[in-house]
Amino acid sequence: MSDSYYVDPDVGFIKEVAKLGGQDLKKCFQCATCSVACPISPDTKPFPRKEMIAASWGLKDRLVGNGDIWLCHNCGDCTALCPRGAKPGDVLGALRAYAISEYAAPKVLAKAVNDPKKLVPLMALPAVIFVVVGFLCNMLFGVQWLNFTPGGDTVIHSNFFSTWLVDIIFIPTFFFAIAVFALGLKRFVADMHANALLEGKTTKEKIDPAGIVQALIKVVPTILQHKKFNECGENKERATPHMMVLFSFIALFIVTNIFFVALYIFGQHGPYSQLNPVKWLANVGGIALIIGSGMMIIQRLSKKDQVSSYKDWWLLGLVFGLGVTGMLAQLTRLGGLAGVSYFVYFVHLMFVWYLFAYTPFSKLAHLVYRTVAMTYVEYSGRK
Amino acid sequence: MDKKYGVYICEGCGIGDSLDVEAIKAVADDEGLTAKTHPILCGPEGVAFLKKEIDGGVNTLILCACSRRVHFDTFRFDGCIVDRVNLREGVVWSHPRDKFPALTEEQKADEDNFDRVQMMAEDYLRMGMARVEKVKLPEPYKLDNFSEKILVIGGGVTGMSAALDAANAGYQVTIVEKADQLGGAALTWRSQLPVTDPYEQLIPPVVDEKIKAVKANANITVKTGTVVARLAGQPGEFTATFKRPGEKIEFDVPYPLPPEMRVDESGKDLDAEKLHEKYMEYNEGRKDILTLDPNGELYGAVVLAAGWRPDKLEGDAYAHLGYGAIPDVITNVEFEALAKKGRILRPSDGKEAKSVVFVQSPCKDEDDSDFDYAGAVTSLVALKQAKYVRNDYEDGKAFIFYQHMRTPGLNENFYKSIQQDPGIFMTKGNVLSVSKSGNALMVEASDTLLGQQLKVKADLVVLAAGMVPATHDDPVVNMAYRQGPGFRDIGLFNGFCDSNFICFPYETQRTGIYAAGAVRRSMTTEEAMEDATGAALKAIQCIVSSNRGVSVHPRSGDMTFPDFFFQRCTQCKRCTEECPFGALDDDAKGTPKPNPTRCRRCGTCMGACPERIIGFADYNVDSIGSMVKAIKVPSEDDYSEPPFRVLGLVCENDALPALDIAALNRISYSADVRLIPVRCLGSVNVIWIKDALSQGMDGVFLMGCKHGDDYQCHFVKGSELASIRMKKIGDALASLALEVERVAQFDIAIDEYDKAPQLISEFVESIEALGPNPFKGF
Repeated sequence: MSDSYYVDPDVGFIKEVAKLGGQDLKKCFQCATCSVACPISPDTKPFPRKEMIAASWGLKDRLVGNGDIWLCHNCGDCTALCPRGAKPGDVLGALRAYAISEYAAPKVLAKAVNDPKKLVPLMALPAVIFVVVGFLCNMLFGVQWLNFTPGGDTVIHSNFFSTWLVDIIFIPTFFFAIAVFALGLKRFVADMHANALLEGKTTKEKIDPAGIVQALIKVVPTILQHKKFNECGENKERATPHMMVLFSFIALFIVTNIFFVALYIFGQHGPYSQLNPVKWLANVGGIALIIGSGMMIIQRLSKKDQVSSYKDWWLLGLVFGLGVTGMLAQLTRLGGLAGVSYFVYFVHLMFVWYLFAYTPFSKLAHLVYRTVAMTYVEYSGRK
Repeated sequence: MDKKYGVYICEGCGIGDSLDVEAIKAVADDEGLTAKTHPILCGPEGVAFLKKEIDGGVNTLILCACSRRVHFDTFRFDGCIVDRVNLREGVVWSHPRDKFPALTEEQKADEDNFDRVQMMAEDYLRMGMARVEKVKLPEPYKLDNFSEKILVIGGGVTGMSAALDAANAGYQVTIVEKADQLGGAALTWRSQLPVTDPYEQLIPPVVDEKIKAVKANANITVKTGTVVARLAGQPGEFTATFKRPGEKIEFDVPYPLPPEMRVDESGKDLDAEKLHEKYMEYNEGRKDILTLDPNGELYGAVVLAAGWRPDKLEGDAYAHLGYGAIPDVITNVEFEALAKKGRILRPSDGKEAKSVVFVQSPCKDEDDSDFDYAGAVTSLVALKQAKYVRNDYEDGKAFIFYQHMRTPGLNENFYKSIQQDPGIFMTKGNVLSVSKSGNALMVEASDTLLGQQLKVKADLVVLAAGMVPATHDDPVVNMAYRQGPGFRDIGLFNGFCDSNFICFPYETQRTGIYAAGAVRRSMTTEEAMEDATGAALKAIQCIVSSNRGVSVHPRSGDMTFPDFFFQRCTQCKRCTEECPFGALDDDAKGTPKPNPTRCRRCGTCMGACPERIIGFADYNVDSIGSMVKAIKVPSEDDYSEPPFRVLGLVCENDALPALDIAALNRISYSADVRLIPVRCLGSVNVIWIKDALSQGMDGVFLMGCKHGDDYQCHFVKGSELASIRMKKIGDALASLALEVERVAQFDIAIDEYDKAPQLISEFVESIEALGPNPFKGF
């Protein structure tokens, strides 16, 4: 019969997913308790039962482009109730990590971000870039954008590390990330649509951009309010810290843009006064970032029955490090500890660079993929 | 034995409170016996009192107390006949006074009033007294030639395990093995399923160690290249004749005439003489079953461990799977042979078989059944063989398509461990077809767990052929029994030899022959070894019991055995043919020859005999008949509205315990019934029913075990035979102008104690609706 699906299991894929936190996927015996337990799975073609068998059969093409893996918020309800300890929630998390790597380019970088052995070189990369670019600019153009002896009574980070140097590195990095996402998303949306058509999850034949925009408008409030996350049972306590981190990112993004505009359009340099409302927003965001990520670290450490793999610690470490170094840089600056402050600021800058550069390859990419998947699902009318 | 009677009434457990004990004593007086009472007969003082009575010369005791199912040992007195009149469960507990009020003094004054419960108690005493008059103390049946040796048929893992267990218990064992070496099927395996904790990994076959142990055991004699030509006699003195496989000898067992040869041209049954002539012709060159081989070896009991063969997959049912047409579609046993040779290579071209699909169910026409004779073992073997593929090839893939994945007990651990292999893929699904696709095969399946129809490329396809018991093809044991050399096919076991799988494992339908391993059901090596222990213990129990002259099973320890009054035998052969255990042989004339140690004492022969010449020392047509006659049937001469009387013949295996439990729970039934426990409904002789009706009783019911596909009869066929006989009794009733509805049979299981009283009461109501028996009072 012509409509038979030719199955050729990819054993390498199974092993890869196992490494990313899905090591128990083969324990599944297809009872579908997970699909019943899941508070956010749709009524028709519910996940994650079908994803579990596809994973244990190594059906990569069925999973990477499957929008359903992004609907999962890793509530952990399925993992807690699974009679065989197959941890469907963690398997889906691993599949998402795999999908992120799959859609990101270059592949080498994607692999490196998920490889603990590559952590040190990846961390060293921005330091090298900063120093090399700084020296090069000095040598070629004679600008002192990287000044290792910034004197002065007050500590001003830009004296040590010019805003110009920061921005000529960060702006391309930011656009590099955007480009990686754009290329990935193009394939992802096409795959997701093809998968939805194949599995009968949508009736929409074509993707209509206007419809997508409308769907996005509907989905954004859902995301901001963590509506889906709050339907979860097991990991419900994660929703609040997650929300704190999300909102602090938004706040800090706004602050950064204000700085950018103030600097390049109005020529106003930082640091701002602590009385400036922009500063308030920045500080509130920073504190929320530290508390939110700190809480998530504690929760992961106490949840022994759920898998926490490298990808999870990598992201939490990044977010926590970002918050802590940012706050410390400010405090040491105010405290006048020049040497410490300049060093911490340097580390902070490197964290920010990681954030920009590695987001499309790391777990943080869920910010984009989940939003897109939820938007698509809203658009496609999946029930 | 000169009987000296004693009637003793216990007043405990509510008997004294509920009944008029003086009136009961008066019943004994009527028979010329003096009844004595005691407050608690089962207490130490009560027992001492009874012992003193026995010392005083009483040897036949009628104890009016509790059910015979309790205090059995308390009231067992050597050399005495003891009858238990069941006043407690049978009368007082099942008929409490709040539902069956006693007569007031005022009511007693009017002689037209009666107390149903009191009547019941008095009848039961009359019945007990009638019975003891007709029974004797049993004497054990002793064999002339007695052997304690055990014969094990089959030298595979099961047979060797049974032999080792019996030998280690001190018994002499002979193993006969058809092949030229010990080991059986296990010799052909590469690895086997785990037999010990943690049940996760494949292990090397255990058979080699078994062979070594057997050879080293001084109590075991091994005869390879040998089969049983005939097994004559009975437990305790089986005479076995051995031969080489395929050999023809005069002691080859004769076969019964097939049905088509038992009739003449016009389809009429041949007479006994003609039958015998035909039989001799049919079995020419073979000695009759009653001729014992003078050179035969004597054995006490037999363990049958003849094993299995793989099912042959033939015919259209498997055409879509390509078996027979495509050389790379093979069975699990053929695959095992390939694996045993080395790395798995395709039979067609010797190419490495790196992708193997295991098909567990033929999935023909929407049918989700597995292959015939498949079960847990075929599931487990597929898991085992999938692992072979992975062990042989780093990039190997094994697919299992199943309708049922059965991994009972701790084998679940094995399933889990196999499941963990990233190169083993399983799904439920209908396998639609296996076809050639270039140099490989393509397997298509629908309704899979993957949510759609799929196809998989395979180098090799393996079909899960089931395990057919050796007894399916061949009698194996070749018993010199009149009912035939094999186990009677009762159409339920597909050739597996068994009598009741759940209640009585190891028991075949032939006493003294105990089945173990794959002849009983398809099972793993581990299960087979455990089975072997069970069968070896049963064989030892049989030898010990036969030596003591008592029954083995299920009436363990029963010393009685059927006694025939041959002068009146009409050679009708009903007993020989109806005995569920083939205990009776017959001679050329058709006169039955009993083999008491083959007998399970169910009394089916006694129920069958139209001449009523078969009985047991303590249970016979006369003893029960006298009990029936002892029941008082009141008529209009006695009361203006006489109560009905209904006789209940109650099987003591399930129905009687169920009624006892009901009584314990104070669940009542009509007080107009009189119950008589019987060994099995198969032992019910229709004369009892006729007697009951002709003396004016209004109805008779039989209560026994379920029969049919999921029968629970302890004697396999008893309740079924009873139901056949009850159908026939209808004509006799009609000739007496009695309604057929006056006789009924009910099925009950031991746990249906709430249902049993309800059935009785409903039956009594239906009899009341019919009105009294017109013969009443004649």
